[in-house]
Amino acid sequence: MVQVKKLKDGSRQIILNAKQFDEITRILSELAAKTKASTILLADISGQLITQRGNTEDINTAILSALAASDFAATSEMAKLVGEEAKFKLLFHEGEKRNVYLSNIGDNFFLVVVFDVSVTLGLVRIYTKKAIQNLTSVFESSESDEDASKVIDQDFSSMLGDMLDESFK
Amino acid sequence: MFINWALQEINLKIVYYGPGMSGKTTNLEYVHSKLDPSLTGELVTLKTKEDRTIFFDFMQIEVGKIKGKKPKFNLYTVPGQVYYASSRKIILNGVDGVVFVADSQADRMEGNIETLLDLEKNLTSMGYSLENFPWVIQYNKRDLPNSESIEALQKKLNFFNVPYFDGVAIRGTGVFDTLKAVINLVVKHVQTQL
Repeated sequence: MVQVKKLKDGSRQIILNAKQFDEITRILSELAAKTKASTILLADISGQLITQRGNTEDINTAILSALAASDFAATSEMAKLVGEEAKFKLLFHEGEKRNVYLSNIGDNFFLVVVFDVSVTLGLVRIYTKKAIQNLTSVFESSESDEDASKVIDQDFSSMLGDMLDESFK
Repeated sequence: MFINWALQEINLKIVYYGPGMSGKTTNLEYVHSKLDPSLTGELVTLKTKEDRTIFFDFMQIEVGKIKGKKPKFNLYTVPGQVYYASSRKIILNGVDGVVFVADSQADRMEGNIETLLDLEKNLTSMGYSLENFPWVIQYNKRDLPNSESIEALQKKLNFFNVPYFDGVAIRGTGVFDTLKAVINLVVKHVQTQL
């Protein structure tokens, strides 16, 4: 499954394997086709972009996911302030040309769907809901996982150090 | 930290924390202005009319491939003003490392301490602790005449003996050293946690 590991110090680490990634991409492509959404993003709740579909060239999607995550986090705080105990599950931003629909997937991920105003919201809602169910089962599917300790070893940190020196000259 | 094996990406989140006007945004602006454009994305700043950060600043840095993996660093600043406490908490979500930008001016000591306690409180509420968390301090505005001595600042703020740097962020002094140090700490920390 998508490993959401609690590390010794309480911090969180999320690891996605290649098979899951393919599966997620497939679900998002299907959602894009069904809803005619212009852009779809899947990100983790800290704002890190996982994958994207549709027109992503004209939009800086790294920034869009950072903003969307904060949007979510801000509304959860708002929920608390107004006495709503659960988090708000979805956010909808209505524009003149484009609408943005954000929906969380469990506690760790969320989906951003950008679509033209000519597309009905109902349609987006229905297909997004279905995509979220499918994504949830991908996230929950258990499989053997890859081990991060193999990548981030001693070598890695010294090479990274050299690279930073080079870039930050 | 987020690892995507399919794309071979390792994402790390670094947050610049500190009292209002201590120079958090200036740090990011300097990094953004000096790095090769191929390594960095756009710098987004959510500011008020008066140029104060209202929510956060954000930029992403990539340094190329290491052992086939692409590390990406997502840099954020928090709004320093006291009344944006909940925004600060929000931005810390999923954080891997912190740069505490302290204002060296003598009359800002209280603000530094207050913000550091606020950081500790927020980290604790997320299950982390300042004692074991990767973070560094930058004593910024060293060029100002009313700045405290490093010894005094160290005594008041650096009780966990984390790496610290002198900074004049507006001229870039200490900016890259600070960033490099926090990235190294984060990577080392991740290793020990795996």
